[in-house]
Amino acid sequence: MTHDQFLRLSERWFRLLLRTYPADFRDEMGAGIVEAYCGRARVTLKRNGVMSLAWLWCSALADALRNGCGERLRPAVSWRRRGDWGRDFEFARRRLLRSRAFVAATLGTLAVGLGAFAVVYTAVEKVLVAPMPYHEPDNLYFVWRDQSASGGLSRNTLAGPDVADLQHARDVIEDAVGMQLSVPTLSVRRDGEPLQTLMLLTSPQLFDLVGVAPILGRGFAAHEVGPDRPAVVVLSYAIWKRLGGDPSIVGSQVWLSESPYTVIGVMGPDFRFVRHSNLGPPQEPDVYLPFPFHLADQHPLNPNLTTFAALVRVRSGTSPERVAAAVDAVARVVNERTPQAAPAKLYATRLQDDLVAPVRPALMTLGLAAVVLILVLTVNLSSLLLARAAERDREFAVSRALGANGSAVVRATVIEGGVLGLIGGVAGALLGSWGARLLVELAPLDLPRRNEIALEWSAAAVVISVGLALGVIAAVIPAVWALRASLASLLATSVRGAGGSQRLRRGIVVAQVALTLILLSAGGLVARSFERLLAVDPGFRPAGLLTFRVAMDPRLFPKREDAFAFQDRVEAALGALPGVRSVGATAALPLSSSGPQNSIWGWQEAVAIPGAPGNIGDAQRDSLVAQIIAARAGYAESMGLRLLAGRTFERRRSETVQEAVIDEQLASRFFPTGTPIGAAIPFRGKSLRIVGVVKQPRLSALHEDGRPQLFIRAEDWVGFMPVWVIKTDEDPHALVPAVRRAIRQIDPRIPVSSVQTMEEIVDDALRQPRISAVLIGGFALGALLLVAMGLFGMISGSVVRRHGELAVRLALGASHQRTLRLVVGEGALLVVIGMVIAIPGVYAAGGLIRGLLVNVSPWDPITLSAVACGLVLVTMAACYVPARRVLRIDPAPLLRQE
Amino acid sequence: MRDAYTHMGTDRDRIEQYLPLRPVEFHILLSLAAGERHGYGIIQDIEARDDSAVPDVGTMYRALARMVDSGLIGAVRSTDPGDERRNVYRITERGLRVAKAEARRLYALTRAARVGGLLEKKAT
Repeated sequence: MTHDQFLRLSERWFRLLLRTYPADFRDEMGAGIVEAYCGRARVTLKRNGVMSLAWLWCSALADALRNGCGERLRPAVSWRRRGDWGRDFEFARRRLLRSRAFVAATLGTLAVGLGAFAVVYTAVEKVLVAPMPYHEPDNLYFVWRDQSASGGLSRNTLAGPDVADLQHARDVIEDAVGMQLSVPTLSVRRDGEPLQTLMLLTSPQLFDLVGVAPILGRGFAAHEVGPDRPAVVVLSYAIWKRLGGDPSIVGSQVWLSESPYTVIGVMGPDFRFVRHSNLGPPQEPDVYLPFPFHLADQHPLNPNLTTFAALVRVRSGTSPERVAAAVDAVARVVNERTPQAAPAKLYATRLQDDLVAPVRPALMTLGLAAVVLILVLTVNLSSLLLARAAERDREFAVSRALGANGSAVVRATVIEGGVLGLIGGVAGALLGSWGARLLVELAPLDLPRRNEIALEWSAAAVVISVGLALGVIAAVIPAVWALRASLASLLATSVRGAGGSQRLRRGIVVAQVALTLILLSAGGLVARSFERLLAVDPGFRPAGLLTFRVAMDPRLFPKREDAFAFQDRVEAALGALPGVRSVGATAALPLSSSGPQNSIWGWQEAVAIPGAPGNIGDAQRDSLVAQIIAARAGYAESMGLRLLAGRTFERRRSETVQEAVIDEQLASRFFPTGTPIGAAIPFRGKSLRIVGVVKQPRLSALHEDGRPQLFIRAEDWVGFMPVWVIKTDEDPHALVPAVRRAIRQIDPRIPVSSVQTMEEIVDDALRQPRISAVLIGGFALGALLLVAMGLFGMISGSVVRRHGELAVRLALGASHQRTLRLVVGEGALLVVIGMVIAIPGVYAAGGLIRGLLVNVSPWDPITLSAVACGLVLVTMAACYVPARRVLRIDPAPLLRQE
Repeated sequence: MRDAYTHMGTDRDRIEQYLPLRPVEFHILLSLAAGERHGYGIIQDIEARDDSAVPDVGTMYRALARMVDSGLIGAVRSTDPGDERRNVYRITERGLRVAKAEARRLYALTRAARVGGLLEKKAT
């Protein structure tokens, strides 16, 4: 190669390196830089030969990389150093004030979207993430007994001695307490009006274990437990306030179910003892009492006494695996002690995980939906800002021609986006604080830590930061677009309109369609699942049912006959009330399985029916753990249980024959062929005769069968019926005063509490799915609206931009219809691309929300196709409406003008 | 910082806000003080003055762009036929004053270094 060839090659290399610089710098300085390098190349080649020319090439590359990148970053750097924030914000303010409609629409969208995000963020943060108000809550574990192998609960409570074994383990387990709920009455004076309260019976070291001390008085001392313990009680803050809030209450006496107790302490308002649902209904205990017995003395074998929830604290820093190993070791001790029982399987779950497990799928789904919504919002804002930047590209071109540098353009867009995002974030935080309150109102009563949900400053700060980040990120795409066009190209395109921005907007629409389809499919599935839930048959008829609790303290009715007599009088009095059709009483109300009535008067017990045709001969598998529910005659009729065979309990009762009604689950398990009517079930040393079969009234969840149920006649077995049910043709609420009057007339010491209609109970069971459905549905519809707006804007812009081209097509003979199809087709293509891109997302989203769905497959073809059709319809409408402007194009004037 | 604002507006401060200059900027002003040049001319000048201080081409052109922005030098398209794409640079009044101020600053520092014994005393 000759020197000339080397020099020409060098020049091409130097020109190539120029690409590292930004366009405007290149326009201005490129020729000079190439000339300078060519000059050097000539000198080098002449003096030192080809090898040093290669060296020059390399150093030119290094130079270009360093200075090219430096020059590209210069706007940001110099603005940071010397930028005039005040002036930039003033300009942004003026620009935004000039287009109020745009600002109002954008802020409205942002506020609603970020408000929804705030609510979901708060709920997720409070319920799933925030630590509980205990000392080192991560070291607190519940220990449960897994009885699923023998058909029992997978999360069953422990026997007293098992808890004592946990207390003695002392390896990584520092301490353990047992807990049990009860519902005594409380009065300040012996003859005072009784309040029904919820009492937590526990080991004396409960407060030390969770690491919270009373605000008044003291907690229990270690010796205050067992049959000889002093009669001491600790009150909750709420009940203390209800009793007058007098600090001198410490040391005074209160009456719990007619027995005197000394108040030794009052817990603080922040001490929310969050219980697991196995422990009781969703309310805080009012009074805390140490056990009147020793856990170790409890009967280890009787399965009906395994009613202690166990809470343990492990040594700080213990891994969950070591906790599991320690609990396994205790299980071995338990099994050695009681070798004849089926081996116990114990396991530990972290307090917080255990508590939030039922709502985790719903909250995770909502959280993901909120994140997708934020993405859609970002993309939407980006598209709006891009449209504004595109409108202003002439202004940009002129201002840059007048000497404004690229950074001014970037600043203009980014500050605009940031200001919008910031204001939107503030508005969203405000909306969110109302929304959080609304959520607490709507939330199911058993949402863990429901009363702690409120928007706090930290959450508001997060929402505002998300808003700001969203605004800035959304502004980056349009800003980069506005910057990368060089002066010359900007001037050139401004003649034809913004070609580049249209390409970007198309990309944004595709992204919006994809995100929206994901949200819509999740929303559709959740809504469909909710619809299925509304349609399920709960096994009873809730209409016109009033339920309430009449707590009968055993101390008031020392003899069973007294209790029965009281109940007969209550039944007669209630039945005589005007409008009452029937009266019944039960130990366990449907959909209230977590109530204390179950831990006290309703229980689970293994049931076997020797000689039943369904038996397979294996003693272990031929016994089924069933929910034993005591009920009075009239309960089945009042509750509207569906009788499948035989009859229900009759008022007339035989003293010699104990009757039972079983549910279809027991019937089909033991009597796949033949009738169960008349068969005998051995039960507690006696024999139950099956008189009827009913469809199972759902005890815990509306949508799934629970444990099989065995109804026994209350009068045969237990004296205390806690829950009464009245069937009326009128408004059940109207009966409440008459009911209270009637009970007071019979015995003024007996309080009536938990007055609820059955419809309210059903409604409460539907709250969580309803919230999920409403929120996700709302998110999805919001996203749909945004994508429709995006498409509408893009197609109208396209029609305006292509006005000339379309006019020429029409002039050349294309029909209006065909041209219309052309324009709509542009949008349709984007929608189709977006939907195809979304398929993996839809698939993944289906998998994520699986836990939330009832009777609906996460990839339910009908729902998904309905959602896809809906999206296509809405988006096509959003394309068609602006595209109709094509019909008004008259080619003649344009052709004359051209 | 506050002082800088309270004094802002006086001519002297406007000059001083450019100081200290980077070596490449000082060299550019030094070259242009002798008369107008195009970019490559400036590089050749610098090479002729002090071989070790020659900046990268990119560095110098970026400095030129910034100095045009800040008004220390001016740029005009070359009037030579066939050479219209090249810029020719000339020093402005302000640029000259900044260059002199920088030279004085450097001189003062050098003198101080001598008094302090960092540099050898100049043989008189």
